[in-house]
Amino acid sequence: MLRFIAADLRRHALGVAAVVLLIALATALGVVVTLQERALRLGSARAADSFDLVVGAPGSEAQLVLSAVFLQPAPLPLVRGSVLAGLLADPRVAWAAPVGFGDFVADSPVVGTMPSLVEGLGGLTEGRGFAYLNEAVVGASVPLRMGARVHPMHGHAFGVGLVHGTVTYEVVGRMAPTGTAWDRAVLVPIEAVWRVHAAEGGARAAPPDLAAPVRPEAVADPQAPGLPAILVKPRSIADAYKLRQDYRTERTLAVFPAEVLTRLYGTLGDARQVLAAVALGAQGLVAAAILLVVTAHIAQRRRQIGALRAFGAPRASIFAIVWLEAFFIIGAGLLAGFGFGYIAARAVSAWLTSQSGVAMPVGFAAQDLVVVAGFLAAGALLAAVPASLAFRQSPAGALRG
Amino acid sequence: MPALAIRDLEIRFPGLERPALAIAALDLAAGEQVAVTGPSGSGKTTLINILTGLEPAGRGVVNWQGTDLVGLSEGRRDRWRAAHVGLVMQEFHLFPGLSAFENVLLPQRLAHWRLAPAARSEAARLLERVGITQPDQSVETMSRGQMQRVAVARALAARPEIIVADEPTASLDAQAGAAVADLLLELAGEAGANLIVTSHDSHLVGRLGRVLRLDGGRLDG
Repeated sequence: MLRFIAADLRRHALGVAAVVLLIALATALGVVVTLQERALRLGSARAADSFDLVVGAPGSEAQLVLSAVFLQPAPLPLVRGSVLAGLLADPRVAWAAPVGFGDFVADSPVVGTMPSLVEGLGGLTEGRGFAYLNEAVVGASVPLRMGARVHPMHGHAFGVGLVHGTVTYEVVGRMAPTGTAWDRAVLVPIEAVWRVHAAEGGARAAPPDLAAPVRPEAVADPQAPGLPAILVKPRSIADAYKLRQDYRTERTLAVFPAEVLTRLYGTLGDARQVLAAVALGAQGLVAAAILLVVTAHIAQRRRQIGALRAFGAPRASIFAIVWLEAFFIIGAGLLAGFGFGYIAARAVSAWLTSQSGVAMPVGFAAQDLVVVAGFLAAGALLAAVPASLAFRQSPAGALRG
Repeated sequence: MPALAIRDLEIRFPGLERPALAIAALDLAAGEQVAVTGPSGSGKTTLINILTGLEPAGRGVVNWQGTDLVGLSEGRRDRWRAAHVGLVMQEFHLFPGLSAFENVLLPQRLAHWRLAPAARSEAARLLERVGITQPDQSVETMSRGQMQRVAVARALAARPEIIVADEPTASLDAQAGAAVADLLLELAGEAGANLIVTSHDSHLVGRLGRVLRLDGGRLDG
C-alpha cells in the first residue's frame, strides 16, 4: 500500500510539492506571528529586568521607559539635577545613575552615566571603568577596540549630525553582554556630556576641557544640570514601591519599566490577535484551495479507484490510501511550515536585535506542541474529506466513466 | 451442481421502462467457458457487473457455488470478489509507477494485511507464463499487448474460480489480441476456472464453448 502511495506521489511530484509549499507558507505565517510576538515580549522583558525603577520628568511613561531602557532617542523633558542628588543620598537606593543622551558614535548611542551603572549592568569583561572625562566604556557588541578614539556626533537620529570636532573619547573598557540595548551603547561620564553641551551652548569657540578626572561628587551636586532619566536600583521590593510613590510628584515621574511594558504588551497582544486572525484567514483559504485541488484530483482518479475496488481492494483500503496520501501532503506542509516559520522568526529577530541591541530569543514553547497537534488533527480531518469521497464511489460507475 | 445458477434476475434502472437485464434462468457448469455478445446497450456490462458483484443485484437469485450475490452488502460483495473473481478489462487498469510484478500483487496487497507466502512465487510464475521476461519493468514502458498480458497474470494471481474478461482484445492489434485470447483460454483451462468473456472479436468468441447472445437485456435462444 505504501509503495502504491509513494508511486502515486512520485507521479504527481510537482503538484504535490506545490501543495506542500502552499500549506507550509500558510502555516509559517501563523508560526511567525506567534514566535515573533513571544520573542519580542521575552526579549523586551529580559531587557527591562535589570532596570527596576526609572525616574524622569513628568511626561509619557512609555517614552521614558523606551528611552532609558531601550535607548530610543527622544527629546525627553529634563528632571532637575537635585533629584539625582536626593536619590544618591537615599538609604533605600542601592545605586542610582543618570542617563544622558543625544550623541552618537556611528550607530551607537553615547550615554552619559556613572560607574555605578556599569557595575549594576554586570561589570566589565575587558579593560577598566572610566576614570577621566575623556574615557569611555563600550557595550559588548560595539565594534570598537580598546584604545580606540571616537568623536561623537550630535543628533544622529534626527538627520545629518554635527560632529563635536574637538571632543574625543578613548575606549578603556568593555561591558559584559546584557542582551539589552545597552550592548550597543558607548558609556561616558555624565559630567563629560554636560561639559560638551555646555561648551556648545555657551561660548562656541571654547573647546570643552575633558582632560580631568571623573569627580563622583559632581553628580551629587544639587546645582547639577538637568537629566533626561535616572536609573534606580532599590534595595528591596518594598523600597521600590515606596520610592515609586515618593517620586511620583509634580516635578518627577517614577515608573517600573516592567509595569509599563506590560501595558505595551496589551497593545502588542491586540496587534498579535489581528495578525493571528489574518494568518488564520490565510490558512482557511489555503485549506479551501487544497480541498478543491484534492477533490479534483479524486475525480480525476475515479477510474483508478474504481479499478482498485473492482480488483478486490476493500473500501477500507481505498479510504486508507487516499487518507494517508492526503495526510502525508498536509502533514509535510505543516511540519515544513513550522520549520519555515522558525527560520523566518529567527531572521526577523536577528534583524531586530541588530537594530535595537535587544536580544530576542526565538523558541518553541510547550504550548506550541498543542498547536502542532491541533493542526495535525485538523489536517487529519481535512484528509478524511477526499478519503470519504473515494470511499463512497461505486466501482462499476467509476469504471464506466 | 452448476457453478452458477441465475433465476428470475431482473435489474431496473430508475427512469427506464424496460428492465436493463431480465434473465429467467441461466446455469453454468464448473469450468465452463462462455462468450457474451450483443450490440451495445444490450446489457452485457450490466450482466458482468452483476456476475462480479460490482453492482447490487436487484431481484432474483445469482448463486455462485452456494453464494447468492443478491442481497449481499457492498463490503461482502467486495470480499467475495477479491476471493473468487479475476478481472481483465479492455483498458488494462494497470497502475503506473509500479512494476509488472507489483501490479500483479497489488490487489492482494490491498485486500490483506499480509501477502500469503505463496503469492510472490505464484505471481512470478504467472508473469513468466504470460511471457513477461522482465517482471521489474515499469508498466508504463510496456507495449499494449504486454500490458494486457500483465493484466491477465494479475487476474489469475489469487487463483480465482471465476475469470471475467470485458472486451479483453478490443484495444489490441490482431496479433497481440490473439496472444491474449490464447493465454486467457489456456490459463482458465489449466486452473479449471469458469471463463466469461464479453467480446465483439469473432475469433475469440468462436473459440469459446458456449455463446450467450444478449439483446435488449434478454438472452436470445
